[in-house]
Amino acid sequence: MVTALFVATGVLYAVSCSLYLAFLLRGHEGAGHWANRVLGASVVSHLAFLGADYAVHGNVPYGDIHQTLSIASLLIVLAYLAAMLKYRITVLGGFITPVTLLFFMGAGLGRSVAHVPHDVRSALLPLHIGVNVLGIVAFALAFAAALAYVIQERLLRRKQLGGVFQRLPALDVLDSLGFRLVTIGFPLLTVGIITGTLWAVRIDRDAPSVTATEGFALLAWLVFAGVLLLRVAAGWRGRRAAIGTMIGFACAAAVLVGYVIQAGGTQ
Amino acid sequence: MTVGELLVIGLSHHTAPLAVRERLSVATERTGEEIQRLLATGALTESVVLSTCNRVEAYAAARDPVAAAKLLRDYLQQRTDDDVAGYLYERLGTEAVRHTFRVASSLDSMVVGEPQILGQMKCAFAMSEAAGGVGMLLGRCFHRAFAVAKRVRTETGIASGTVSVSSIAIELACKIFGNLRGRRALLVGAGKMSEAAARTLAKQGVRLFVVNRSPERAEELARACGGEARGYEQLASELVASDVVITSTASPRFVITADLMHDVTRARRHRPLFLIDIAVPRDVDPRVGDLGSVFLYDLDDLQQVANENLATRRREAHAAEQIVAAEIEQFERWRGSLGLTPTVVALRERVRDALRGELERTLPRLNSLGEAELKSLEKMIDAMVNKVLHQPLTELKRGSETPEGAMLIDAARRLFALPDDGETKPAADRDVVRSLAAAGGRGGEGR
Repeated sequence: MVTALFVATGVLYAVSCSLYLAFLLRGHEGAGHWANRVLGASVVSHLAFLGADYAVHGNVPYGDIHQTLSIASLLIVLAYLAAMLKYRITVLGGFITPVTLLFFMGAGLGRSVAHVPHDVRSALLPLHIGVNVLGIVAFALAFAAALAYVIQERLLRRKQLGGVFQRLPALDVLDSLGFRLVTIGFPLLTVGIITGTLWAVRIDRDAPSVTATEGFALLAWLVFAGVLLLRVAAGWRGRRAAIGTMIGFACAAAVLVGYVIQAGGTQ
Repeated sequence: MTVGELLVIGLSHHTAPLAVRERLSVATERTGEEIQRLLATGALTESVVLSTCNRVEAYAAARDPVAAAKLLRDYLQQRTDDDVAGYLYERLGTEAVRHTFRVASSLDSMVVGEPQILGQMKCAFAMSEAAGGVGMLLGRCFHRAFAVAKRVRTETGIASGTVSVSSIAIELACKIFGNLRGRRALLVGAGKMSEAAARTLAKQGVRLFVVNRSPERAEELARACGGEARGYEQLASELVASDVVITSTASPRFVITADLMHDVTRARRHRPLFLIDIAVPRDVDPRVGDLGSVFLYDLDDLQQVANENLATRRREAHAAEQIVAAEIEQFERWRGSLGLTPTVVALRERVRDALRGELERTLPRLNSLGEAELKSLEKMIDAMVNKVLHQPLTELKRGSETPEGAMLIDAARRLFALPDDGETKPAADRDVVRSLAAAGGRGGEGR
């Protein structure tokens, strides 16, 4: 039952992703219309999966990295759907759903195997995971806006003003959206790193060390801090800020990949 | 035939230069009066006059299309002293319907796919309707034309993409800045091209500033489009402050050089700048386009976009023509059925009258017939009418849906010596539907 719901959710995400891409690349109005509906169905299926997972296995969203990825993918979709209802930016689904799909597939790698051991659990853990998940949701959406910006700017510069260019939003809209999302994600990431550091110090008092995963988290923080600082102080915007946002998200995603690999190693 | 024929006579951008078109144009407020004047001659049963900057056309329905065509030719000729006969075209019957559908769908427009013509046709139609110039034929034809135009716009890409240079520039500015309201635009040079672009920008709520070597001309243009004039020495500072810049000077050298823009972009702190160079020779050094936050488009770039959009529209026009062809077929089917109905009524009357006449001659010799027997004989006459006319009506019905339908109906009317006006007894009308149904055809109008 739980596995069936997981597979169904994955398939629905994949279908909506294909439909969004068909809308973005080919301009099929019907595909965009159906993509939103299928994504709505994916959310229902995802919620049913989380409910069943909790009821059958007692798994909670912050139980391990896979469940964290699962809840992150759901929150990305919910944030996108909320933004879509307000701004009618169906076309950004073509950038957001591939990220969602990757996260959800990551959630499926070695699921329900590596739980956080009891001796390292702490009250900080839910807070640490909670703020990091919300941060990664904001960064994923900022990444989508930044990628759309880079493509749109490139098309405008090359004077390729056909279908994709017509469907993507204005550069200024994408730039402002990316800036706002990084502004939301950065404090969350900061709190996530502080709580993570406190937690790590508590369980590893004798020999504190920085792993590659933690290194990427710090790098992500530095990149986003740099992007925000340069935006405010030096007037950075547009392509440079978009590329900075994409690099920052890549570092944040590398942290998640690191956790997935670590979880795989503990199986 | 009793339903009349459709015809269109007029001239357009395809056949006549602007100087001729403007002499023949009819002011909108005078259209009703002109239509009443045409109808008063008695040569037309219906009429619509369409007058736009690209065409002057008279649409009409008439029993005698040759006389009507002459009247309309004379009517158009009277509007000018010049001989316009060489500029006029005439469309009759199905070709008139095709022309109406194509004009409404903007397939005959100077810029294929432009939306204004449909509104202009609707306006002309409403004026004619108010003047009593619209009857069954033109009414049906125009209503179908409006529906065809809607189909063409929704089912094909004929209206896709902008095709005017200034509109493309505005569209691109919107793709960079989103909403243009409150943005700053700078016009460098005060030529005609600048003025056209400035007016389009002003409509979008953009704040306009004009820089020109001649301050008087800058003031003049600024006043004309609701902007502010600035001294030419303020060019650099205005470039720093603006979001959109349109250059159209007559300068033989670059007015905006790469060195100037290096300093400007540094002062702008990466704020995007949309530079539109519509001057020939160019005002902006092409190397400016390599700067990070500057988007540079020259006249060729904009014209290329316009041409691509126009080419797309032309490709889509092929699909639109197919829609028009299918709709003409439907319309002609309906028109064919118009001639059929009075013919069927008259034909039934003719046969019934003949049979009843024979019966009435025989009845005095049949003394012993009661009420019941007489009713049976009446029913027998009806049955005989149906029996005798079944095959002819089937063929007429089938023939009315083909281009030869009118000939077939005319032949039937001549063979049975049916009256021309199609007047029939009211009771007979009810039987027509039954006869057509019995003949196995689909009755009534097309879509």
